[in-house]
Amino acid sequence: MAYVSMGEAHRRITEFLNRFCDAVSLQDSSTLCRLLSFSSNSASHLSLADALNVFQDASSLIRQSDKFSEYGEILTHLFRSLQSYRVGNLVEAYLAFEKFANAFVQEFRNWESAWALEALYVVCYEVRILAEKADKELTSNGKSPEKLKAAGSLLMKVFGVLAGKGPKRVGALYVTCQLFKTYFKLGTVNLCRSVIRSIETARIFDFEEFPKRDKVTYMYYTGRLEVFNENFPAADTKLSYALQYCNPKKQRNIRMILKYLIPVKLSIGIIPKDELLQKYNLHEYINIVQALRKGDLRLLRHALQEHEDRFLRSGVYLVLEKLELQVYQRLMKKIYIIQKLSDPARAHQLKLEVIAKALRWLEIDMDLDEVECIMTILIYKNLVKGYLAHKSKVVVLSKQDPFPKLNGKPVGS
Amino acid sequence: MAVEPKATTEEVKMDLFEDDDEFEEFEINEDWVEKEEVKEVGQQWEDDWDDDDVNDDFSRQLRKELESSTDNK
Repeated sequence: MAYVSMGEAHRRITEFLNRFCDAVSLQDSSTLCRLLSFSSNSASHLSLADALNVFQDASSLIRQSDKFSEYGEILTHLFRSLQSYRVGNLVEAYLAFEKFANAFVQEFRNWESAWALEALYVVCYEVRILAEKADKELTSNGKSPEKLKAAGSLLMKVFGVLAGKGPKRVGALYVTCQLFKTYFKLGTVNLCRSVIRSIETARIFDFEEFPKRDKVTYMYYTGRLEVFNENFPAADTKLSYALQYCNPKKQRNIRMILKYLIPVKLSIGIIPKDELLQKYNLHEYINIVQALRKGDLRLLRHALQEHEDRFLRSGVYLVLEKLELQVYQRLMKKIYIIQKLSDPARAHQLKLEVIAKALRWLEIDMDLDEVECIMTILIYKNLVKGYLAHKSKVVVLSKQDPFPKLNGKPVGS
Repeated sequence: MAVEPKATTEEVKMDLFEDDDEFEEFEINEDWVEKEEVKEVGQQWEDDWDDDDVNDDFSRQLRKELESSTDNK
């Protein structure tokens, strides 16, 4: 920590106090945002923190002035947080920041206009980030992490403050997205339900009024939830929205959207071009797409196995595994076309024996009963049109459109 | 995706703080115009890929296998 004289420390602290109070009285939101962004680790924050640690009794400075003491509670907690943050006591930093945030929100409620909305966003963001750091400190000390969960409660409270009729309500979506990030990190995604319900059904909210960046983030997360719930048409709509409106410069965000959108598209019979996969470094999907194009069940299984960990972590493994039926359909179609080439008159009869032979070639060992079972499923799910002649062990395909396309709808819908 | 309770601190450290796919924050007040590039991304999908072409390697090998006279099990 740099050496700071008492005089210099006094100067720095007073400067900050003046800046803060002036920003509030002039309703200067962007200055306030800068002053509150701890995690930016800016030089001015660091130098202020050093000054606080030298001066030690900033509260007396605050008390001595009417101008400063009006925001005494807010400033005292803010300073304590910054001091703790600077010396690496992240749990203490979070606790103090939480108090600061509560006090700030109280003040915010009293300001009639929405001038400080962006500053509130900064506060929400910092609450979450500090809570994450505090939890890391707790677990590294063998204690149970609980600050991120507490941050979630605080953010819900902020949401409640914004969920009213006035101009502050356009801030609700930003807070919602901070909540999503919190719940996804904690693994408690079921808690997303209540905010989603508020955003989508409360009459005070008009989705179109929210800022574009918040809508994009919102659609990304709710799209992911639809993927988990296997509502593919809804997932397609939401993730496609996020893709369409995302800032094109945010390549990593676009990649994340695609990571979830691709399995959805595959499930409704639409495939991404290879250039797309290459451009956004989504190589894990290349063989899956290839397997679907070809009807290559062996390749599908290999691809699922090769990237099993990755797919499991993102939660798309089951979605991709279910593509197997579509790959079966493609394989049956290939067999049918091949048979048409040598014996067109009888091509529409697929002997179970022949199917079994093809499967064996693809390293899938099935007896005729199992093959019959698979074919029954394909027919039931309308991936194959025809019927099973059980005694002769043949699938008789419909003469018209025996392998119906999905046409943008999931299998079996 | 609920997190299951884990026995050791080590595993807790590993699993509790992860969402690999956390969306990056947009700047406050960040706004942009969808450029041509974005429309391109939307056009990188094929819905008519399910053709009747059997001239690829896989199909040729499949045909060879089906027309071969190995004994069935």
